[in-house]
Amino acid sequence: MTAQSLAGLRRARRNIWREIYNYRWIYLMIIPTLVFIFLFKYVPMYGIQLAFKNYKLAGIAASPWNDLAHFKYMMNEPEFLPALRNTVVISFMRILVGFPFPIFLALLINECYTPRYRRVLQTVYTFPHFLSWVLLAGIMLNLLGSTGMVRKVVMIINPEMGQNWNFLYDGNIYRWVLVLSDVWKEAGWGTIIYLAAISGIDQSLYEAAVIDGCNRWHKILYITLPGIVSMISIQFVLRVGYIMEGGFDQVFNTYTPPVYEKGDIIDTYIYRISFVRTSGVDLGFSTAVGLFKNVINFIMMLSGNLFVRSLGQEAVL
Amino acid sequence: MAQTAITKSVTDRVLKENRIRRFGAIDFVILLFLSLWGLLILYPFYNAVLVSIVPNTVYQRYQGFMLLPPAVTWDSYAFTFKNSLIWTGYRTTLAVTVLGTAYNMAMTILCGYALTKTAMPGIKVMRFLLVFTMWFSGGLIPYYLQIKNLHLTDNLLVMVLPMGVNLMYLLIISDNFRSIPASLEESAKIDGANDWTVLIRIILPLCLPLLATFTLYYAVERWNEWYHAMLFIKTSSKWPLQNVLRTIINDVNMLATMNIPGQVRPDVQGDSIKMSSIVVSMLPMMCLYPFLQRYFLSGLTLGAVKE
Repeated sequence: MTAQSLAGLRRARRNIWREIYNYRWIYLMIIPTLVFIFLFKYVPMYGIQLAFKNYKLAGIAASPWNDLAHFKYMMNEPEFLPALRNTVVISFMRILVGFPFPIFLALLINECYTPRYRRVLQTVYTFPHFLSWVLLAGIMLNLLGSTGMVRKVVMIINPEMGQNWNFLYDGNIYRWVLVLSDVWKEAGWGTIIYLAAISGIDQSLYEAAVIDGCNRWHKILYITLPGIVSMISIQFVLRVGYIMEGGFDQVFNTYTPPVYEKGDIIDTYIYRISFVRTSGVDLGFSTAVGLFKNVINFIMMLSGNLFVRSLGQEAVL
Repeated sequence: MAQTAITKSVTDRVLKENRIRRFGAIDFVILLFLSLWGLLILYPFYNAVLVSIVPNTVYQRYQGFMLLPPAVTWDSYAFTFKNSLIWTGYRTTLAVTVLGTAYNMAMTILCGYALTKTAMPGIKVMRFLLVFTMWFSGGLIPYYLQIKNLHLTDNLLVMVLPMGVNLMYLLIISDNFRSIPASLEESAKIDGANDWTVLIRIILPLCLPLLATFTLYYAVERWNEWYHAMLFIKTSSKWPLQNVLRTIINDVNMLATMNIPGQVRPDVQGDSIKMSSIVVSMLPMMCLYPFLQRYFLSGLTLGAVKE
């Protein structure tokens, strides 16, 4: 190594320190957030090793390794596989109904005659999005429960059904209650992104279409829908990435033991085996179930995002 | 001549379609559907108010669809306000919301601005470390143990500190900061401004509506907080409103005997107490939302629709 290149290297190193010094305030600005994700995101990731250990009160590091025993046990645990199946089934049901409905609603709102009324409607539609499931579960359980208004009305129409009222205790009905109440809460919020996409469509297209003799239906079919189809596909791919998220807040606040069989999801299952069950579930086992879920989640989200990116669109994540 | 006539008829048609469109049968159907959906959204809230003000004995015996209250009593509200947990819950929630939102916004603004400095050494790694936390997490148990290790159990700060930044909001805010022309910043730098001055005097004033929107989102998140409180806060007087509500919904009888023994009257039992508690805790949102809805509705589109 010649003296000249050494001097160049030294200068480059001095330059990098100089550059870092120039950015000193920016580093100071980002440090709180880095400390935050270290403490509350990365240290828990270090704790994942518990999935391969038997938990001892002495701490995560001191707990002994156990040869994947938790994962072997997982397949035999009586409530695990039903919870996994429920999560996927409920997620699919949510996509089936909850995904197309906001698009449909957005198209209708876009066709709405009076702009001012449109604004009022949107305000109403999005309101439930900002309330917690704790509160909405309270309203929902009352409305659909045995003393609720829905039963009172059904009593008149179909007294037999009203007498044997089990809306919240029949697993199959409960699943639909979950799906539809989620549509009720989130559909209005979901329209916003599509309405924004619709408002981005070039207005001259519509004018040209009218000149060419298009009616309203043609305009929706040949201009509006093609105009938002890329947004729809992005949203769809990203939504499918969340397949392992069954909606903890909603399920946890509304479910009861009779519907565990059909309504229990992975997240509520993890919560119950960790904090509710008193007899002998190792915290390492809960960690293993959580890891199982997170790995699938990670793969789904990653592939979804890569797919969206491959379409030449900027992914949301 | 003929050409102008054609042009005129075409213009007429466009005008007619776009501005002075006739109100047709389809418009009516659409309007009807949209209104019904709106009523469907509103009815559960109206029903909650009804159940809370109709005497419980009347409500239990009532047959059929209730549109107007057959009788009105404020007993359940009197009962709810006598419940000390509602008041401590309100106090905790307010404190957590104010403190938490300030903390969230400070972190998000600072980090969002830092992320715009794409030439800074190491920023790519830091950005990756941040974004990665959206994709993968340690799961409930390791997180629970970490909170315990930090001695945050039964501490109000557990509802503030672990919710530092929402990564989605952070990225949207950062993208918007970046869309401000760099020349503004450069000229300020030439005039001797440092990074703090640029952020406070130039970037933030240009992004006020955006910041208002995300302040509201954070405030709503903190206001709706219940999960951490359920996991980590054991003392009931430290519960936020949502957890008090949860207890009331799950076990109204426990509450009735716990607070005012011997005063439980049949009129103010069960459903009406639950619903009055719900209405009381929903009140701030109901009052503020219509006035702030412009900010509430704008946020999602700020980040999402980009070509």
